[in-house]
Amino acid sequence: MLRYVALRVLIALVLVWLVSTLVFLVLHLVPGDPAELLLSAGNTAPDPEAVAQLRSQMGLDRPVLAQYAAYIADLTHLDFGVSLRDQNPIAPELALRLPRTLELILAAAVIASLIGVPLGTLAAMRDGGWSEKLVSLLASAALSTPVFVVGTTLVLVFAQWLGWISAGGYVPLAEDPLRHLSLLAMPAVTIALPLTAVMIRMTRASVLEVLEKDHVRTARAKGLARGPIIRRHVVRNALVPVITVLGLEMGTLIGGTVLVEYVFNWPGLSGYLVRAVEARDYPEVVGIVLVISFLFVLLNLLIDITYAVLDPRVKLAK
Amino acid sequence: MSPVIEALELTRNFPSRSGWVGAKRDVWALRGINLSISRGETVGVVGESGCGKSTLGNILLGLDSPTGGGVRFEGKYLHDFKGAHRRQMRKRMQLVFQDPFGSLDPRRSVGAQIADGLRNHDVVPAAEIPAEVARLLTLVGLAPSVAPRRPSQFSGGQRQRIAIARALAPRPDFIVADEPVSALDVSIQAQIVNLLADLREELDLAMLFISHDLHVVRHLCTRVVVMYLGRIVEEGPAEQIFTAPRHPYTQALLAATPSLKRPAGETGKVLDGELPSPANPPSGCAFRTRCALATGDCASAVPPLETVGPERRTACFHADLTAGQGGLQ
Amino acid sequence: MTRAQRSLYIWLGLAAVLIAFPLLAPVLPLQPTIGMDIPHRFAGPSAANWLGNDEYGRDVLSRIIWGARASLAVAFGSAFCAAVIGTILGLLGGYFRGITEVLAVRSTEIVICLPPLLLAMLVITILGAGVLTLTVALTILFVPNYTRVVYAATLQTGGLDFVKAQEAMGTHPLKILARTVLPNIVPPLLVQFSLTVASGILLESGLSFLGLGVVPPAPSWGLMIRAARAAMDQQPLLLLWPSLALAGTVLLLNVICDRLQDVLSPKTAARGGAAWLRRQIKRTPDAPAPEVPLLKIEDLSVGVALEQGSMGLTKGIAFEVKPGETMALVGESGSGKTLTGLAMTGLLPNALSVTGGHAWFRTEAGVVDLAALTEEEFGPLRGNDISMVFQDAAAALNPVHRIGDQLAEIIQCHRPMPKQQAEAEVVELLRKVGIPDPERRIRAYPFELSGGQRQRAMIAMAVANAPKLLIADEPTTALDPTIQAQILRLFAKLKEDNPGMGVIFVTHNLAVVKEIATHVSVMYAGQVVEQGTVEEVFADPRHPYTKALLASVPESDAERLESIPGTVPQPGAMPEGCRFAPRCGHAAAACAAPQPLLDTGEGRTTRCLRWADLWKDVA
Repeated sequence: MLRYVALRVLIALVLVWLVSTLVFLVLHLVPGDPAELLLSAGNTAPDPEAVAQLRSQMGLDRPVLAQYAAYIADLTHLDFGVSLRDQNPIAPELALRLPRTLELILAAAVIASLIGVPLGTLAAMRDGGWSEKLVSLLASAALSTPVFVVGTTLVLVFAQWLGWISAGGYVPLAEDPLRHLSLLAMPAVTIALPLTAVMIRMTRASVLEVLEKDHVRTARAKGLARGPIIRRHVVRNALVPVITVLGLEMGTLIGGTVLVEYVFNWPGLSGYLVRAVEARDYPEVVGIVLVISFLFVLLNLLIDITYAVLDPRVKLAK
Repeated sequence: MSPVIEALELTRNFPSRSGWVGAKRDVWALRGINLSISRGETVGVVGESGCGKSTLGNILLGLDSPTGGGVRFEGKYLHDFKGAHRRQMRKRMQLVFQDPFGSLDPRRSVGAQIADGLRNHDVVPAAEIPAEVARLLTLVGLAPSVAPRRPSQFSGGQRQRIAIARALAPRPDFIVADEPVSALDVSIQAQIVNLLADLREELDLAMLFISHDLHVVRHLCTRVVVMYLGRIVEEGPAEQIFTAPRHPYTQALLAATPSLKRPAGETGKVLDGELPSPANPPSGCAFRTRCALATGDCASAVPPLETVGPERRTACFHADLTAGQGGLQ
Repeated sequence: MTRAQRSLYIWLGLAAVLIAFPLLAPVLPLQPTIGMDIPHRFAGPSAANWLGNDEYGRDVLSRIIWGARASLAVAFGSAFCAAVIGTILGLLGGYFRGITEVLAVRSTEIVICLPPLLLAMLVITILGAGVLTLTVALTILFVPNYTRVVYAATLQTGGLDFVKAQEAMGTHPLKILARTVLPNIVPPLLVQFSLTVASGILLESGLSFLGLGVVPPAPSWGLMIRAARAAMDQQPLLLLWPSLALAGTVLLLNVICDRLQDVLSPKTAARGGAAWLRRQIKRTPDAPAPEVPLLKIEDLSVGVALEQGSMGLTKGIAFEVKPGETMALVGESGSGKTLTGLAMTGLLPNALSVTGGHAWFRTEAGVVDLAALTEEEFGPLRGNDISMVFQDAAAALNPVHRIGDQLAEIIQCHRPMPKQQAEAEVVELLRKVGIPDPERRIRAYPFELSGGQRQRAMIAMAVANAPKLLIADEPTTALDPTIQAQILRLFAKLKEDNPGMGVIFVTHNLAVVKEIATHVSVMYAGQVVEQGTVEEVFADPRHPYTKALLASVPESDAERLESIPGTVPQPGAMPEGCRFAPRCGHAAAACAAPQPLLDTGEGRTTRCLRWADLWKDVA
């Protein structure tokens, strides 16, 4: 087990390096001069002086390999450079906002798992029945409605019309725990909704598949009651592919936070990102994209480990 | 008569690692295999799963490359042929698979699949292809009118006939049949075994027949090789191998095979233990861990395949003790 | 056309109609989408403006139809480009492996580490917003998904025998890819395409909503929702229309994707999932329970429920097992031997059920009819009075639980006891079935055992509670000869230890029957055709099928094997009369009528009308 974890960590580190390199390459592989591209808007040619200044500020006048070396060296110190807009260092801002985004993601993942797995199991056990049809219909609808539509609708109904919760904002947990949680509720539920739908669909498919397996027949042949069979021999086995899907969906989930944080004014990484992209502040965007990608790799690492705990075969395979 | 195909000191190992960072170990699938097959001859390969018999078939056909040694087809080494030339060679040797359900493309008509081999090698002019497909279908006992049907419309035995027709299309000289009847029911199995026997006579083919069913091998094959953990342990004319086996493993294999002829209540000697891992085979004779005759010598050196009679070879240090034991009625 | 196909075509038709609107937008009599009409700001729906007017007084309906063009262009454009690139990369990587694989497949996996929306935003930062930029960004995003799907499908297809057959035939690799591999990966590709289009629409609208996608004043659903959000207290309806359009389109695509999956990879599982989880209608026995020593099966039939009604699979099975006897059920595939075994324990596959007859079984509490028990009533019997050994032990054991736990479970289920005690019993059991080093082996997972050991563990499970009846379904078929011999010997030993145990041994191998069984029932096409002790039936078969089956075993010295012409009739197409008659050399006119099982004396039966004529000397 320990060796498996060590190996996974190693792979995660390699991935982090590869992703950083990819992000570096995106800027340099784009045809045309990056500085010129960043400063151009519409069809007007940018001011040559400003381009030259940006080039030297971003180090674009140095050889590419030297730029790459400096870039990677800075990253190992978690130094993401300074913003083009206000010259402030980017790292402290990231450190402040990262936990807030993480909180949203984890809250959503917990909500989705707690609702999705039982409902999915129920739908599989009642396959073809009215409860399965209802659950599947709701899941399809939830999956098809974009998070920003759901978020905006929630704001309209619960904040504007009913006035139950404020439309958005953020209060640190230490300051006012209750208000913090009430502000967390709507964005977390919004992100959780499509994820819950995915979990329901995946759990349903997975449970249906496991129910067809020979070992379930063995469990019945043992004379076990329905409860233990479902718990120990069906859901336990069905979780393995569900966890895999959770990992694959993590990207969509993180993408969802960008929109949801924007809708609810949640001061996480994403609002920061939107403003950075609007201002085309390249160093800021790179910093945020990298941090979120690292987070993504980290979450997938955690999922890989969970996977190994659930399925003993994984540790020995590969 | 000069052999159609020869295996010379064939060795094949599959590199394997336990984990990405684990120790590197080779799985020895084949070690030092020498074998030659002539026209009109059917050589049976028997042995339990993991003994390397399917790998041997693939290498003889050039579908897999040996790690060491070589395959000679009519005196020319296969590894001297590359790309298009290698593909040209393929018409001379064909393959019949075990699973009649997986070996045919479900999306194309059986006629088109049989015709592929004819087109690839311009066996007959394009205009004569339908007639040739009809001839091949008749040859394997099917009506020529079935050519436009999809494989799903046939039963297992019929599919195996179609697979044989496809293999015969390029007019090969050598055929590898890899467990061609083990997925079929007994009554259908007999039909296919009879068909293969007829074809061998009619077309004067060289055939390698891989099977774990000793009774079928005995019935169909002229010569038999017995494999254990990647090596040939015994070789000889089929009838002799079955009535007077010399290697302790062959004897055990025969004893383990249930038989209708064996008197009720009498069971053969049951071999203890299981096949050792091919990734970590015992030193010396690989069979010594399960062999009643094993002595210290068996652990220190690999017994060579030695002649013990006319056309008979066996790889056992104690072959003098095994004469006259075991064997089927 | 199946139901699934019909459903797919209906949804595709609906999608085509909806797509026609934006495609035809330039020729439809729509109001202009640009330009202001300040007096009509936030006007509700009216005859002129069916969906009302937006914050600049523009017609909402025409903006929705025109806005769809942007979403669809970006989504379909990027999905298509990515499909082409991804398919090529996946095909090459999956088929040629090696360095091609690393370049084509592994490299794309790095892109997957970047959350989709973020990668798009990175590209937009550099290239600026706009429809073209979006299409490029989404194409990059989607390529890895296609590559993965196509790669996996290619690997799977490439390993199949019919692809290997093409290689053996000397077909050019590119021709194999195009002609043999590609058609077989179309199903997952189509599903991926519909998924990607839906995802593309979501991403495009999301970016536009953030103000990073389509540039105003061009209409786009995301932009419309963005604007409506700012004015939602004034006119909430403005939020509704583009949201409905967006969610409706994505829902439609998702439904099409689901239907596509139904059509392209039809599940073999019957609709309705696991039948045993549903409430069962209890069959009431229509006969009083007779006195039986152990098991007596009378006229048992199993059928499958189809849309067109029920179809019989086995008919009129009858045999008896006394304590200590081993009854072999022997026959070819489709003979119904396995189904008969499963029916005894109520473990028939979904959609299959007992349609008639009785299976009287003696328990402590008296004689019960196994054919009429419900899932709940079976509970105390299974694994206790009746137990089963399955053919494929690798599949029959749960891969995620330790062997010891799986064995302890069956003990504790019927005889509650502390964990330690159960564990000690498990170790003893494993030792009894010949698993070396049982103290350590109880901690092993099934995949850590060899095939032979797994079957031993399976057998240990079956005999854990000293059953009265053991049903073994082809327990040695998947094993090598030397291991098969070991397992057969183990069965013999277990019978010595527990002489009162009755055994039903299902197999297709006549030689195994001879080795292990005392009695045999020969089955053909869902019926028992002959019965008796093994010795007598094998020495003197009284049914032409038994005789032919024995003759087709390649153990005779004959030059040619006796083969039975033709094939086993399919269920649903069974001959009216004797089911073997179409393949039988002795069939007479009278054989066209249904044949009963005839008593031929000495406890033997045959379903052949002509047995006495054909074998006069023995009768």
